[in-house]
Amino acid sequence: MESQLTTSLVTPAMFLLPILGAIAVVPLTRTSPKARALGLGLACAVTAALSMSFIPGVLAGKIYETHVLRLTPSIWMFMRVDAMGALFGTTISVLWFLALVYSAGYMADEHRRGRYYTFFMLALGWTLGVAYAGNLLTFLIFYELFSILTYPLVVHEETPEAMAAGAKYVIYILIGGSLVLLAVVSTFFLAGDQTLTATGLLSLEKGRTPLLAVFWCFIVGFGVKAALFPLHGWVPDAHPAAPAPFSAVLSGVMVAAGSFGIMRVVFNVFGVKLLRELGVMPYLAGIAAFTVVFAAILAVRQDNLKRRLAYSTISQMGYVTLGVALLGPLATTGALVHIANHAFMKGTLFLCAGLLIKRACVTNVSQMNGTARRMPWTMGAFAIAALGMIGTPPLSGFVSKWYLGLGMLEADQPLYLVILLGGALLAAVYLLPIVYVAYFKAPPATADVDERSEQREAPASMLVPTIVAASLTIVLGLAAAVPGLPVSLARLTATGFFR
Amino acid sequence: MVSWPQWLSLVALVPLVGAVTTPAVSRGRSRVAALWALGVMTVTSFAALMLILRVAREGPFSYPFGGWKSPIGIEFRFDEFSASIGIVCLVGWLAVLYSQRYVEHALEEPRIPYYYTLLLLNFTGMIGFAVTGDLFNLFVFMEILSLSSYALVAISGERTAEMAGFKYLIMGAISSLMVLFSIGLLYASTGSLNMADISSRIGDGAVGPIPLAMALAGLTVGFMVKAALFPLHIWLPDAHAIAPSPVSAILSGLVVKTGLIGILRVYQIYYGAKVLDLSSLNTMLVWLGAISIVMGAFFAIFQEDIKMMLAYSTISNIGYIVMGFGLASPYSVIGGSVHIFNHALIKATLFLAAGCLIHKTGYRTLYDLRGVGKAMPLTTAALSVGAISIVGIPPTAGFLCKWYIALGAFEAGQPFFGVALIFGALFIFVYYIRMVNSFYFRQPVHPEFLEVGEAPASMLAPVLILASLCLVMGILGRIPLSFIEPAAHRLLAPLGG
Amino acid sequence: MEVVDIRPLLAPAISFACSGLVFVYGKNRLWRNFWSLSAAVIKLGVVMSMLPGALRGDVYVYKLVDFTPGIGLGFRADALGMLFALVSSTLWVLTIIYAIGYMEPEHEKSRFFGFFALSLSCTVGIAFAENLLTMFLFYEALTIATYPLVIHEETPEAFRAGRKYLIHTLTGGAFVLIATIVTFQIAGTLTLSKPGILDASMGTQTLTWLFVALIAGFGVKSAIMPLHGWLPEAMVAPTPVSALLHAVAVVKAGSFGILRTIYNVFGIALLKELGLTNWLAWIAAFTIIAASFIALFQDHLKRRLAYSTISQLSYIVLGASMLNPAAATAAIAHIANQAFAKITMFFVAGAIQRTTGKTHIHEFQGIGYRMPWTMGAFTVAALSFIGVPLFAGFVTKWYLALGTLEAGAWPFLIVLIASSLLNAGYWLPIVYMAYFKVPPGTKMHVEEARPTLLIPTLICAAYVILLGTTAQVPLMPFSVARAAVRFVFGM
Repeated sequence: MESQLTTSLVTPAMFLLPILGAIAVVPLTRTSPKARALGLGLACAVTAALSMSFIPGVLAGKIYETHVLRLTPSIWMFMRVDAMGALFGTTISVLWFLALVYSAGYMADEHRRGRYYTFFMLALGWTLGVAYAGNLLTFLIFYELFSILTYPLVVHEETPEAMAAGAKYVIYILIGGSLVLLAVVSTFFLAGDQTLTATGLLSLEKGRTPLLAVFWCFIVGFGVKAALFPLHGWVPDAHPAAPAPFSAVLSGVMVAAGSFGIMRVVFNVFGVKLLRELGVMPYLAGIAAFTVVFAAILAVRQDNLKRRLAYSTISQMGYVTLGVALLGPLATTGALVHIANHAFMKGTLFLCAGLLIKRACVTNVSQMNGTARRMPWTMGAFAIAALGMIGTPPLSGFVSKWYLGLGMLEADQPLYLVILLGGALLAAVYLLPIVYVAYFKAPPATADVDERSEQREAPASMLVPTIVAASLTIVLGLAAAVPGLPVSLARLTATGFFR
Repeated sequence: MVSWPQWLSLVALVPLVGAVTTPAVSRGRSRVAALWALGVMTVTSFAALMLILRVAREGPFSYPFGGWKSPIGIEFRFDEFSASIGIVCLVGWLAVLYSQRYVEHALEEPRIPYYYTLLLLNFTGMIGFAVTGDLFNLFVFMEILSLSSYALVAISGERTAEMAGFKYLIMGAISSLMVLFSIGLLYASTGSLNMADISSRIGDGAVGPIPLAMALAGLTVGFMVKAALFPLHIWLPDAHAIAPSPVSAILSGLVVKTGLIGILRVYQIYYGAKVLDLSSLNTMLVWLGAISIVMGAFFAIFQEDIKMMLAYSTISNIGYIVMGFGLASPYSVIGGSVHIFNHALIKATLFLAAGCLIHKTGYRTLYDLRGVGKAMPLTTAALSVGAISIVGIPPTAGFLCKWYIALGAFEAGQPFFGVALIFGALFIFVYYIRMVNSFYFRQPVHPEFLEVGEAPASMLAPVLILASLCLVMGILGRIPLSFIEPAAHRLLAPLGG
Repeated sequence: MEVVDIRPLLAPAISFACSGLVFVYGKNRLWRNFWSLSAAVIKLGVVMSMLPGALRGDVYVYKLVDFTPGIGLGFRADALGMLFALVSSTLWVLTIIYAIGYMEPEHEKSRFFGFFALSLSCTVGIAFAENLLTMFLFYEALTIATYPLVIHEETPEAFRAGRKYLIHTLTGGAFVLIATIVTFQIAGTLTLSKPGILDASMGTQTLTWLFVALIAGFGVKSAIMPLHGWLPEAMVAPTPVSALLHAVAVVKAGSFGILRTIYNVFGIALLKELGLTNWLAWIAAFTIIAASFIALFQDHLKRRLAYSTISQLSYIVLGASMLNPAAATAAIAHIANQAFAKITMFFVAGAIQRTTGKTHIHEFQGIGYRMPWTMGAFTVAALSFIGVPLFAGFVTKWYLALGTLEAGAWPFLIVLIASSLLNAGYWLPIVYMAYFKVPPGTKMHVEEARPTLLIPTLICAAYVILLGTTAQVPLMPFSVARAAVRFVFGM
């Protein structure tokens, strides 16, 4: 299928809209919180709608392009929506919308809401920029800034733990960002043009050594955000510290932004052919596989719920990198689909964790006995997402793992299949006990002996997004083959890369 | 009118006659004496101007007295170096104007007419020294100059002044003796007193090197004392600091320069002759110059008395000029010669301005003078201009000398001295900055003088004129430079430079 | 094309005249402010009016007087000079507004504004100097003119700082003078209008010493380590002085001198042959890292700013010593980029000091809520220093990185990256302190700096973003920098 280029003005609007929305409602912060919430919700909803509006065109083989700004002769901002970007962008904006709605309830009694909402929206804009970046520099511009813009969200609680986590986050992310910059500059030096086309930018003419150096700079740089072992240190600290809705997007899409970056590097900067010649991918695959198992084992030992979920994220993102590293069309499809699917599953889990914190004052797994009785809807959503995470058919997690498994066989690497299944097994080990104790263990006697369990369920503003996210897990699994959903976009992308 | 030959004789005779007649004309009235001296200086200055215009147009010229041609007769000879009388007249005129109010405060009434007499005699000595063509007259004028200087230093009659004058006298007498001895030696061996004639006779090779070398040594050392070159400078700080300020200006700005012009004259005699290799003398002068720069600056740092500080700075500046001569390359000689002019302007500015401060406030140490910048802004501004200029910050007059002498050092293949000179100048800045700090930026110790106001116009005007010249001569530096350039090339021509 | 035009002379002359008027009419507040402000605006207008021509490739020259035979006091507005003049005169306008507000309770205001104008006159004189001697002349004059500003407070520390400042800068000036003399001696000309006036036939040893002397001389003001000692001390000066002089005019005069040395005195071709710039690059790299490390441990905000300045200035030196167009673009553009970002920070430091009396970073807890606009501006500047895309600093970092790669000098690339991390390390904690470290129990009330302090700060911060986003637009400093690079590399 020949791709046609279309100039679109919607693309820049995509990332400007949330930003402008955030700025526009600043004056309302003190006067009318309701109007502000409405305004932000509207901006976010429009953004999500716009991001979906690309999908039909993209499926039809269109690529939307916009030259935004030429900063200097060698630095220019260029937006480009291809299938991969459309997939990630839609995931981002939908999950963000859910988290925003959820925030309205969750943040109601928190301090400094103005700051929270402003940065929440700014981060959305910038993350979308990452998805729709048309060249490496644009990618870098958004990637670096959104890391910084999310800092106030990570430390929002302003507790000492949050501060420490924030410091760790910033240090990790800045070092990663610097390495990415290093790699981007080197790529520009080696290749000149940086437009992210399907064939790759670099070639072997310049010799292997610089190419290898650039490759590892990229991988380490993005690997920090993608929480690749041993660069994952910030993840388990940042997630418990941040407010729940932000943990959801942090885990769901921001960590994935790192994986997305790795994909861009592998497929758009180096290209499949070159990487096969370089022969570096087996190493990456090895690291990713190790990350999957290692993080899952650590997750089992965590008592803090959000911490356990954070390790789970590390493990799941390992799948994505593993899928990419196998360099096969099916594995790539699986990796891409898993980004989307994992976003909603992990989003659900974190939103549930937030509800548990807010409504039941539960932060640790050991306190969760019998919570399902008091919060049936919440724990229902949790159970669905947990099953999806393990890869139970017909939930969405199964679809991506199916493709990943096929990809492993296609790549003739049955060993990794063991890893895949082992990871799923470990996911069961660290998630199912939670579901088990919530449903089947009696609530501790010392807990509030309040039997008004119906009243303990969260208000609709928080519950509805959680349930929507959980149902998306089901929908994405059941209706995986419907055009417009992740699988179709991922397949389209993979065929483009492996043509 | 410019080429009227009598100007050359008049320029020395007018101040001499004026000096002698001052007491008679004034009959004890200080005001009349001042006006008379001013008139004399005006006429002299006019004559000097005519001479300078002529030398610029025609090159060097002579005036034989009584029609006796050289080498027998007495001859005045005017070349570009003689044009230093221009600065003598300018600074002299301003100093006389300045003196009028200054001395009525500083001296007892009866001494004042004699003060003007001595002043005019002093000018006579300097002018005569610069324009004479034969060695004996050179000595005579030098003695007129020296004797009047001793007396001027001691004129206040105070004990310290007399001591300083006496110290000056002893050193001066020894130097005069050496000069006289050397002149005798030259006369004995060549049979001539006319400098051009001696030079050509030496060049014939008729005279053995020993007496020539002895004469050279005597002349050099003698003039070095007059110029206060290290280590023969010990008389200078006391004398310059204790004398009345206008006298200090003249002594520091002008009188020490006669020693330098004397050294130039020695060069004129010996370079042309080519009988002696002067390079070792040059090396000595360069080193002494360098040491003078550093020592002068070093001692100045520890001075609290403002005039003492200025006096030590003179030693540094003489070091510059001597170094320029010793390097013996065209640029450095030009630089040294021009600095004779420029340093006179700068040092006169500084001393006269310092005089204004002392005159109005009665204090003379940096500590006591703190905060005076508010009381006397114009005077202190002039002092600051002088300070910046003497340190050689472009584009002031002092910069030219630094530029040319350093350029000359590189040209002569002795970059070390160029570097030493430039860093020596930094040293000098250290103590001037102390001065500026205490005037402007420190809290006054004696707040009562904040009300005193500026010095009277007749004192302030010379200070301001000189200060503005310090600035203008920097920007218009090419005028003296292009004027002195042919002379320097002529001087060095026998070296094949 | 050279055009005889009086404007290159006019620009420094306006400031000079202004300083005179301020000294004379300085007692009256209105007159003082009127003369300062109108001179600043007129000068900016004069400089701006030359900009289209400069971008077209015209060079305005004006020869004033033969200073000494053969060497004129000449003015020449080429692209490189235009950039420096443009930056300093733009910032003069802003700083004057700021200073009017800031200096209100200070003493000796006419002295302050008078010497301020004089310093600016010298700065533009340096920018437009046609030859090395003219440049040296203004370079020395700048030293003298800024001294009264450094010791303005008249405290013992101020005097100590002033002394240190003078000793450093005058020694540097002496080196420049020696080098100027030697250049004149061996090249017979001092003009800065050519891409290099020396050539290899003049002897490697002489040229090496000459280079060392020039770099040491200009390096003092440019605060290359180990010649940087004066800069942190000089921060005792009132904030507008620190801002304009110690972030822009004085220190950039040094960097500008180094650029002139490399591009116009030696020339790219000769330096490539001599290989001297490798050493310079290493020294600059050392300075970048070492100064950043020291900055990490400074608690006094202005001292931290000072060390940051030291570090940032060496970006310019590093860029210049790479000897290729990309790095040169970075070096020249950084004159503007660093200036605007750094002055923003200084303005903020001063605004905080004036509004709340706080000078140390540990006191800044929660100040982001008290002075939201001010700290917003600070954050913008901090991001620029870290080199976050869309801010001015990124443009420099990008081109510098490209330049190091082009030169095949990847260690410097790592230095660059390490430096941006260190920048993050010492700027972000301040932002953090201001927004997230609110002492419990404090009442949140906005207490902004007064408008004369705030408006210039915000304009500068906005300009930092403009420099990072619209550098391409004609008439922005970046385009001027590129014009300069085209000339230097004969492109």
